[in-house]
Amino acid sequence: MILYIDTSSSYLYAAIVSDNEVKEEIKQEYGHQLSKVALPEIVTMFESSNITPQDITKIIVVNGPGSFTGIRIGITIAKVYAWSLKVPITTVTSLEAMAASSEKDLVRVPIIDARRGFCYAAIFDENDKAVLEPTYITYEKLEEKLKNISRYKIISNDQEKLPIKAEVIESYDPNFIEIVKEFKNKNKINPHAVNPNYLKLTEAEESRL
Amino acid sequence: MQEKKDMYILGIESSCDETSVSIVKNGTEEIATVISSQIDVHKDFGGVVPEIASRHHVKNITMVLEECLEKANMTMDQVDAIAITYGPGLIGSLLIGLEAAKTLAWLYQKPLIPVHHIAGHIYANSLVRPLKFPLLALVVSGGHTELIEMTDHYKFKKLGGTLDDAIGECYDKVARVMNLEYPGGPKLDKLSKEGNPTYKLPIPLHDDSYNFSFSGLKSAVINLAHNEQQRGEELRQADLAASFQKVAVESVVSKTKKAIEDKNIKYLIVAGGVAANQILRSAIENLAAEENIEMSVPPMKYCTDNAAMIAAAGYYAYLDGRTADLTLNSTSSAVLE
Repeated sequence: MILYIDTSSSYLYAAIVSDNEVKEEIKQEYGHQLSKVALPEIVTMFESSNITPQDITKIIVVNGPGSFTGIRIGITIAKVYAWSLKVPITTVTSLEAMAASSEKDLVRVPIIDARRGFCYAAIFDENDKAVLEPTYITYEKLEEKLKNISRYKIISNDQEKLPIKAEVIESYDPNFIEIVKEFKNKNKINPHAVNPNYLKLTEAEESRL
Repeated sequence: MQEKKDMYILGIESSCDETSVSIVKNGTEEIATVISSQIDVHKDFGGVVPEIASRHHVKNITMVLEECLEKANMTMDQVDAIAITYGPGLIGSLLIGLEAAKTLAWLYQKPLIPVHHIAGHIYANSLVRPLKFPLLALVVSGGHTELIEMTDHYKFKKLGGTLDDAIGECYDKVARVMNLEYPGGPKLDKLSKEGNPTYKLPIPLHDDSYNFSFSGLKSAVINLAHNEQQRGEELRQADLAASFQKVAVESVVSKTKKAIEDKNIKYLIVAGGVAANQILRSAIENLAAEENIEMSVPPMKYCTDNAAMIAAAGYYAYLDGRTADLTLNSTSSAVLE
């Protein structure tokens, strides 16, 4: 029984998955209410399926990139859970989860807008090889990297903000079965070491450089 | 008579730049406390950077929890309730403690007790000696300057507070003008003892209210330093520190005195990080002696932010029936009531 949590955007994506079957799931936009509702919504998911926290054998949590505050909500819940009940835990990036949710028929380019001409992006080929690891990059540089790829699809929920064009653009709708299938056997991490992967320094640190 | 069962409360505090967890028995007896301070991280920036603070809280939270339980030689199952600072403070920082507390409350089916940060500072005193009512609490810290009247446990009435900067914030900013390293307040306090109050500075908000204002005083010091520099005069650092302390402390003392007399207070407690300030401390001691009332200042370790005070306040909050469900949220500007 696997618990999946992603709070890296304004949405709460969470699911309990067992034997390639989604027992319960949440896909709901909460925006600034996320800190208030994330935990009680996850609890409701357990209660309505009669699953106890002890039934979970692995936690997969999204560690970013995305909203800094958002990421920390899911990470805190997941690492406290994993630490206290000694449940194995692993992390995936939001961009990996986005790519895993889309068919592998084309090169996949998940993009999250990061404002001021920047985005978080990655490039995965049809064999799931990361041509570009998740990174914080200008749209300009990303376009350069895409030049040599004949066909690709962009996966993004920030489509109206993207200055990049593509033949195929998909919006992101998490496929929990596929995400869990791909990452459930990923090595477990010590819960103390489960931390956000912001991919970006704070402004205070940047301006000091 | 049936003996009352002991109550062990686990407190979590993450409102600013300290990640802290503590277990306190019956609101008075500290079992174990762990504080992970970020002072060294923020020193380079001359003050607390909120985003950096949040990043450290999330990194440290489970380690601080584990260390506290180990120190107490207890397990989560032996804890009776979880008390959490829900505000006020830096929202990103508060949220880490909040999510951790909510998760633990759910996993172990324990009551969740929301504690106001200022209530925590006040109840730090109950870790040393029982509170006596009616009391007046003078809360002075980097984020707060408040006078609070209490007629009984968990019955708060805010008489007044700062209209702009907190006193500790003002100390740190003035210290920065004087090139003292962050956090400069304590260094300014020390320096002031070597000087004399020869610079003339305005006494802030000299009125009939219980309120404070420190931004005008801060500007006056900045202007003074600037003008001296323009005139090519050397700034007498120790004298400036002494001059600043004199008016800042006078302002606090006069408003506290007014509250004691108006409200017929017999018991005064001083709380918050600035309670460690030597000049302020002795001025308040003199005031208490003059007014012939009792006073209590908790030891330094309970003055700065810590989770023991949150667990202590949490006990009395629990007795007052104040528990929350899992939809509890943090708020940067919570009102004490």
